[in-house]
Amino acid sequence: MTMENRRTFLRNAGTAFGAFAVASRNSVAADADRDKVEDAESSMLDWPDGVGLPQGWRQMRKLDAHNHVMQDVHKPQADWSSVENLVAAAQALGINKLYCSRPVSKGILAEIAAVRDANDSVLAAMKRFPGQIEGYCFVQPGNGPAALDEIERCLEAGMIGVKLYNQFKYTDPIVFPVVERCIERRIPILGHSAYLTDAKSLAAQPLTSHALDFCELSGRYPELILILGHVNGGGDWEWAIKGLRDCPNVYLDTSGSVLEDDTIGRCVLELGHRRILFATDLTMEGGVGKILSAELTLQQREDIFWRNFQGILDRRAA
Amino acid sequence: MIIDVNTHLGHYPFRPVRFTSAARMIEHMDAHGIDMAVVSSLHAVFYRDSHRGNEELFQDVRQFPDRLIPVATVNPKYVGWERDLEESVRRWNAKGVTLLPEHHGYSLTGELGRAALGRIVDYDLPVVLTQRLEDRRQRHHWDVAEDLTTAQLTEVAAAHPKLRCLLSNWIGLNGAQLIAAGLRGRCLIDFARLDVLLNKAIPKLVDELRVESIAFGSHLPFDYLGPSLVKLANIAALFPAEDYEKIAWKNAAAFFRLEIAEGRTGRRKGGP
Repeated sequence: MTMENRRTFLRNAGTAFGAFAVASRNSVAADADRDKVEDAESSMLDWPDGVGLPQGWRQMRKLDAHNHVMQDVHKPQADWSSVENLVAAAQALGINKLYCSRPVSKGILAEIAAVRDANDSVLAAMKRFPGQIEGYCFVQPGNGPAALDEIERCLEAGMIGVKLYNQFKYTDPIVFPVVERCIERRIPILGHSAYLTDAKSLAAQPLTSHALDFCELSGRYPELILILGHVNGGGDWEWAIKGLRDCPNVYLDTSGSVLEDDTIGRCVLELGHRRILFATDLTMEGGVGKILSAELTLQQREDIFWRNFQGILDRRAA
Repeated sequence: MIIDVNTHLGHYPFRPVRFTSAARMIEHMDAHGIDMAVVSSLHAVFYRDSHRGNEELFQDVRQFPDRLIPVATVNPKYVGWERDLEESVRRWNAKGVTLLPEHHGYSLTGELGRAALGRIVDYDLPVVLTQRLEDRRQRHHWDVAEDLTTAQLTEVAAAHPKLRCLLSNWIGLNGAQLIAAGLRGRCLIDFARLDVLLNKAIPKLVDELRVESIAFGSHLPFDYLGPSLVKLANIAALFPAEDYEKIAWKNAAAFFRLEIAEGRTGRRKGGP
C-alpha cells in the first residue's frame, strides 16, 4: 500500500473506502462505482495475515453481534466519519456484518421521542450501509406501550432485535412486556451487563444487570433469546461466566475493552462454545484478536465468529 | 522480528495467569512468533521487598539471555533500595526500571519518587511506567491502585528532562501534551491498549510523536497476544515496511540499547 493510500485511510475513513461509502448510499451507483466497491473490499481482504495468527483469518466469516452507531447521522449535514471508520475497520478485519444499536446511556429515563431519535440514527446507518450494518432497537421499558410500538417500528424498518441498557434491572417487572414482545417476534434481546466491583463504577450505573439477573429473567422466560452483553466490558468477567452456568438459554457475547487471557477459554470450558457470540463493542482489533488467539478448534472458532449468532437470526424466520 | 515491550513473569494475586515462568513465556512466544520480550516481575509488585521479586526474575530469565530482557522493579520506600537497584543494574544487567507508585504507596513527584527517578537517570536507564495492570471496574477489593494519569506523567517528564520513559499499557495519551512536556524523542509507547483502525490512536501518535515513539506490546500474561498481533498485521498493511520494522522491534531495540545478533532480524512470513 502506498503512503498516499495509507494517509487516505488514516485521515479520511478508509483506503478505497470513500468510494465504497459513496456507492453504498446511492442505490443507482454507476457500474464504475460498484467496481470501486469490489476493489476496496478485495484489497482490504488482501491485507497480510501478519505474524502468529491463523492463516486466512481476514477471510473467516464474522458477525459482530454487539456494536454501536453513536452519532446523529440521521440529521441533515451529519458527519458520517465515525460510521465510515467503523465500516472500514470491519472491512479490514473481515467482519461481514455489524449489529449496531444506539442506547441512551447513563441511566437516563429518556422520553420516547429521544429513544426514537437514537434509533433513527441506526436506521440511517443501515440505509447507508445495507448488508453491512444491521440494527438492534433500543427501548427504555419505562416508556410502556410506546416502547412496544417502537419495537414494531424498528422491526418494520428491518432491525433484528432489541437492545436494553441500564435503566432498569432485567428482573424488574417493568421489563416483562418488552420481553414478551421479543418472544412473540422471535427476536433476541442484547442486554448491557457488568458485575462491577469498583464502588465508583457501580455508583455510576447502579441498575446495571449482571449474570444472575440474566439467569433470573431467563428462568422466568425460557423461550427468550437473551444475550449477556460484553463479558469483557469492564465488570468481573469470571463472575459473569460462572453466573451463567445454570442458565442454558442465555448467550454471552465476547466484546469489551478488556482483552484478558483466558476469557474465551473459560467461556468455552464453563458454558460450551455454542453459547458464545463474537462481538467487539467498538474494540475491534482486540475483539477479533482474542478469538484468534484463543485455543479453539476451527469448528469452534467459526461457530463463535458467526454460526451461533446466525442460528439466532434464523429463528426469526422460523 | 518482534520484540514485545510489555510482559510480566510470575503470579498475580487476584486471578490465575497462564504464563508465569520464563519457560512457559518462551513457549507461548514461540507459538505466536514473538522473538524477544521485555519482562518485569509481578511478584515484585506485591512482595513487601520488591527486590526479592527481582531476584526470582533474574534467576528465571538467565536461561534465555537472548530472548528475555529483564527490567528491575524498585520500591523507593523500602530499606536499601539504592543498593538493590545497583545490584540489578551492575550484576544482572537490568535494561530498565519499573516504578509502581500506586502499588507501593508513594508519589512520583514526591521526595521518594524524585529520588528513584533521579537514580534511574544516573544509570542512564529508562523508567517503565505502567498506567494500570487491570481494569478497575473488575478489581478485587484489596486492589486499590488507581491508574496513572497524563498529568502525573507530564509533571515527571518536566522535572526530569533527561529521563527516558517506557509508557506501558496506556490509553488516552495526547501527543500534544507529551510534546509540550518534552517527551518527544525520549518516550516509547507500548501499543497494547491503542488501536490502528477505528480510533486510529497509533497512527495519530505516529503523526504527532514520530514513528520512533511506538512499540509492539501485548501486556502478557494478563491479555491475549492476538489483539496486538492483529494490530501489527494492520500496521504491515498501512505503513511503509521500514516503519513496520521500527514498531515491531527496532524502536524497542534502540530504546533498551539491545545488541541484536546478526541473522536474527529477518522478516517472518506475514510481514510487509
